[in-house]
Amino acid sequence: MTEDQTLLHDASDRYLRDSYDFNARRERIALGVYTDPQHWRAFAEMGWLALPVPEILDGLGLGTRECAILAELCGQYLITEPLIDVLAAVSALIAPSPHAERWLGHVVGGELITVAAIDEGAGQRSKKPSTKLTQVDSGWRLTGSKQWINAGPSATHFIVLATVEEGFAWVICPRDAAGVNCEDFPTHDGRGGTNCAFNTEIEENQILLSGEPAQAALDAYRELAMILSSAETLGAANAALDTTVEYTKQRVQFGQPLSSFQALQHRMANMLIQIELTRSLVYAACDAADGDTPDQSRFARAAKVKASSVGRKVSQEAIQLHGGIATTDEYIVGHFFKRITALDSWVCSRGEALKEFMAVSG
Amino acid sequence: MNASNPYPGDYSAFRETVREFLTAGLTPELARAGERTTSVFSDFEAGRQWQSILHAKGWGAPEWPLEYGGTGWDIQQRYIFLEECRLANAPNPVMMGVQMLGPMLMHFGTEAQKSAYLPGIISGDDVWCQGYSEPGSGSDLASLKTTANRDGDEYVVNGTKIWTSMAHYANWIFCLVRTDKSVKPQAGISFLLIDMATPGITVTPFSSLDGEIEQCQVFFEDARVPVSNLLGEENQGWTVAKYLLEFERGGQHFTIDLKKQLRKLRRLIGSEANAAAEDPTFVYRIAETEIDVLALEQTELRIKGTVAAGEHPGALSSLVKVSGTELGQQCAELLIEAAGQGAMPWQSEVLSPEYEGPTAAPEECVTTMAEYINSRSTTIYGGTAEIQRGIIAKHVLGL
Repeated sequence: MTEDQTLLHDASDRYLRDSYDFNARRERIALGVYTDPQHWRAFAEMGWLALPVPEILDGLGLGTRECAILAELCGQYLITEPLIDVLAAVSALIAPSPHAERWLGHVVGGELITVAAIDEGAGQRSKKPSTKLTQVDSGWRLTGSKQWINAGPSATHFIVLATVEEGFAWVICPRDAAGVNCEDFPTHDGRGGTNCAFNTEIEENQILLSGEPAQAALDAYRELAMILSSAETLGAANAALDTTVEYTKQRVQFGQPLSSFQALQHRMANMLIQIELTRSLVYAACDAADGDTPDQSRFARAAKVKASSVGRKVSQEAIQLHGGIATTDEYIVGHFFKRITALDSWVCSRGEALKEFMAVSG
Repeated sequence: MNASNPYPGDYSAFRETVREFLTAGLTPELARAGERTTSVFSDFEAGRQWQSILHAKGWGAPEWPLEYGGTGWDIQQRYIFLEECRLANAPNPVMMGVQMLGPMLMHFGTEAQKSAYLPGIISGDDVWCQGYSEPGSGSDLASLKTTANRDGDEYVVNGTKIWTSMAHYANWIFCLVRTDKSVKPQAGISFLLIDMATPGITVTPFSSLDGEIEQCQVFFEDARVPVSNLLGEENQGWTVAKYLLEFERGGQHFTIDLKKQLRKLRRLIGSEANAAAEDPTFVYRIAETEIDVLALEQTELRIKGTVAAGEHPGALSSLVKVSGTELGQQCAELLIEAAGQGAMPWQSEVLSPEYEGPTAAPEECVTTMAEYINSRSTTIYGGTAEIQRGIIAKHVLGL
């Protein structure tokens, strides 16, 4: 890490350690509050939401590596607020839009929370969305429905992927607009989800991108989402390992700490080995993206595949090595496991990433 | 820690120099010996010849300090040199002298010892083998029982060493021997340099699973060794041996060879109608392995970055040893699956660099089975994968 990156990490880590309490999180989720307004305001004030926004648009102009630092912390502290979602949307969908100035200030200021809406149900991801943006007399109309929008309940606005005549369009749409019917539901990762039906009028400045630039934005969004979800998985897996190491040192059975048993030591060593290998690949994917190198697509997919496999395995092992306590809701380890599982299929699954890795590797 | 290459500078001229040297110096026979290498050891004579060519060029021991005949290259140049040698199929000289004993001699040796032994090591004229393991002392090395009892100006050595690679070619052996039985095991060990021609030493080579002879057992029966052949102080042998681990802190580079294996695999399944190529599950496994190799490569780069910043990579080295060797086994396994029955013909003479005759196995499969067999030992020698995991558990996780 550079000196600036270390500063960003340390300051962010300090804030989350001091104020992001696991028990408060549980109570809040039980009430259906997935984004704590105070936290979101703090994120905005600390400049987190402006991180990937170019300086010319009044942002900090920082890169994927810096976003990944935050993503790792999101995993470590089990942040339920849609931070990586908004970072990816801001960077790939809003900042490149000709209407960026209309929206960006409100998003990085924390007043609007924008979450991308892509999925339309099982098996639909790789196809053309059936949600359509069509021209009508009065302007534009968005029709169709989106399903399983992770962190949807936290969103004030959805950025909807729709089909238009010339391909795709990204349309920003308030969840409380007339003709938008949302149904929220709780999710296992504590962020909530939303199904949403659209039959609503759209103004010109809500169409963020259309045609070729929209396709490019989809690619960029997916690639950034792969890297950030890998980084969040890395942070969560690392925290799951740390928790496991601490617990096995304390827990006494057969008259000695669990950590003294070689069978368990080697399993924890394996967890560490795999986490460090993943870390190397995630950081390399960030560097490739920030360096705009020809390898960036390949690295993003490699990181996603590796992080998904390792995250899954490490979080399963964390539960097993704890024993019964890890199967309770009060204990933190199972929550790393659940969040990692959700991240696995968010935007791009491990299987999709693997197939794409093969395609870009030639 | 930054994962990007810590040496972004322009090394293309250096790389070109190395390539030119390899084009000129690496004869087709030597390259063939390199290509037909199925373990860490190449054909002995080819390796020896290559060491003398390297030495003549002044590149006999790139890792050593300049004053002892090193090259003065930085870590990236050393990496490029290694990479180019591997890609060009240069054979591996027997490494126990340059890579293992050399650093220990430089650190612990007397001036007389350094001038007596270092020149023969770097020129390849002396061939050293390593006498550490014993039949009853493998992973628990400190339990070793070969004794050296002081008698005037000599030690009288009795006992036996096993897994002594290349002892049948070696004219010297460096040994860990017990000089004090009354203290805790590690504290009673000394490090001795022993001439293999010493009366009382016999060598029994034995075949490995692939039918080749690399391993030996060495027996000592009242072998008399001058006290001046002690490296370090008496009973300091454990410290001397452990120092080598420190010296290796530049990190090991497994990915060069792993990428070579993957390229071979691609060639193999790309040739004719290979059954494995038609199997989508096999193709996915290759892609997953490629991703693991990419992750290891980036980890090796991280270690280089740490070393370049003057820090100690610590147990990341154990991590690389475990992953590098296990990934090598994974690649060997993919290769054996892709080769199928084509890898089964057993024809030892094919491995000889001079062999020009027909091969029972397809050309691209002649080494596949031997490589697969020998890959099993990579997680056993040099500290088993279990020992490495123990190190990680203790020194990184604090268990």
